[in-house]
Formats: sequence, C-alpha cells, structure tokens
Amino acid sequence: MSRLSWIKKALEVGVVTRKYPFEHVEIPEGSRGLPEFDSSKCIGCSACANVCTPDAIRVIDDLNEGVRRVEYFVGRCIFCGRCAEVCPVSAIKITKEFELAYKDEVKFIIELKLVKCSNCGKSFTTTRHLNYVLGKVGEGIPELITLCPDCRRKLTINSFITPGGGIV
Amino acid sequence: MSIYKKSIWVFHLNTGSCNACDIEILDVLTPYHDVERFGIKLVASPRHADALLLTGPITREALSKVVDALLAVPEPKLVIALGSCACGGIWYDTYSTLGGLNELYKVLKEEYGIPEPPTVRVPGCPPRPEAIIYGVALALGIMKQKYSTTKVRVE
Repeated sequence: MSRLSWIKKALEVGVVTRKYPFEHVEIPEGSRGLPEFDSSKCIGCSACANVCTPDAIRVIDDLNEGVRRVEYFVGRCIFCGRCAEVCPVSAIKITKEFELAYKDEVKFIIELKLVKCSNCGKSFTTTRHLNYVLGKVGEGIPELITLCPDCRRKLTINSFITPGGGIV
Repeated sequence: MSIYKKSIWVFHLNTGSCNACDIEILDVLTPYHDVERFGIKLVASPRHADALLLTGPITREALSKVVDALLAVPEPKLVIALGSCACGGIWYDTYSTLGGLNELYKVLKEEYGIPEPPTVRVPGCPPRPEAIIYGVALALGIMKQKYSTTKVRVE
C-alpha cells in the first residue's frame, strides 16, 4: 500500500471519533448496567443479598428502629444481574445505565417494616414478606402466622407431646 | 470548571487487577473513543503526572509502591479509581489485599498523615469506555454526578 492510497482510505473513512460526553450514545441491547430497585414491589426477602457475590446488596435488620434495610452500594457492584434473576417479585430490573462514576458515595436504601413475633417479641420478617407468603399458601393456620420460626416449632412439637393440646 | 487548568497527564498504576480494566484504558485511548480530546495522555512517571489512575484492589505487595507513586505526584493531584475492585472493594476481608481505596486512605492517614486527595471512582467490572470518559468528564467538571444516595422507607 503506497502512502497516497492511505490518504485516500483515510478520506473515505472520515472521522470515527465519538463525541460522547457532548452527545447521546446508544448502548448495545443486552448490556448490563445499573440495577433499578422498585421500592413499591420489594418485599425484603433478601434473596438478592444471598446471591450477590461481591456483597453489593446487603440486608441488615435494624432492631432499634424495627426496620429491615436493603442496602445497595454501587461501588461494589459487578453488574452480573443475578439479583434481578432471583427476585421473586421482579422488583429489580437491569437497566443499560452506565454513567455511574461518583465523587460522593452512592447507595440506594430501602427500609421495610419488620413484624414482631406475637409470643416472644422477636422480629423475624417483614410485613410484605409475610403477606407475600400468605398469598402463596392461601389462608394458612391463623395461630401460626404471627409466630417466629422458633416459637412455631415449639408450638408444633408441644401439640404432638400434649394429648389433645396444640393446634394440629 | 475544575482546579486543573491545563491538560491532565495520567500515570496508570495496576495494583493487582485482572487486566480487564487495563484493556478498557487502552480502548479509551483508541481513535474511536479518543480521550486525548481532553488533553489526557499516559505518562511514564508519576512525577510528570497530574492524576494517578488506579486499577485493582491494592494488594499488600503493591501497597508500598502505590504510596510511593501517590507521594511522587505533585499537587494538586487527582486519583481516578477504575473498576469495582478499586472503588468499593470487591476483595475485602482477605489476608492479601487491602480491599479498595477507602482502606488505602485509612492507611495513608494513620501511617503517613496524608489527607484524602480528590478522587473520582468509576465502578464497573470492567467499566465501559464511555463510563471511563464520563468519569473523566466528572473530574474535569464538564458533567455532574448523576446519582446520589437515596433512602426510601415503606410500610
């Protein structure tokens, strides 16, 4: 290739540089970016926190305030999209958003109210999670619904060892 | 605008990253994305640089070199952390890495008494070339930070 033909080729191709920060850029379909959290749908089941490999999503129970805190920290996220995959109510949606650089820390926090056990007073799950499970199993056993797993187990075993007692 | 009146020259330092971020840096320097539009170029010595570009979770072996490089960069300096390893710290609670920039700043403050330099963090694993350009634009003051911490309380 002679030098002249290079110039010809360069003129044919023209400018290829994107003007990105000054104009909109189209991101290819299927690329994963920022997960979007829908607080109106989240039930606080912590399935996303269980699968999150780098611990970008954390679920912490704040017993003083009586809330469960679902905390997403963008700096730790590897954008694998597993949280959206496992979410039972599809509250997490993977968007194509990539403009995430930050100077001050970015966290998305959802606080959900906790339910207290009617027997021992221990917080065991969120109101929304309880309602979600109830919606799946139907009516359930009314005496057991408001009990924490430990109390529920004790009550069920008591019902076996006490003749004529218990629930079942 | 920012405190940097002239072109930013960048010293790239790999502190134990998997090289994915480093490949994206090369991508940003190609004619397609061409970060030299902003006057940015890679230099071979931190003494010539305005900004330190860190990739990786900062391993214990790299710590002394990172501190040396950071001290060699003249003021006013800027730190750009690339990738989720460096900005949030994916690899934390291990014997071999510090786990991100926050831990490095803690060490700097306790051991050397150096305050935190202005920092831009670009999360992603690896970040897209456009995301890196956005981080650069954020550092230069061309664009503003898009997201901030939100807290929602529901019943």
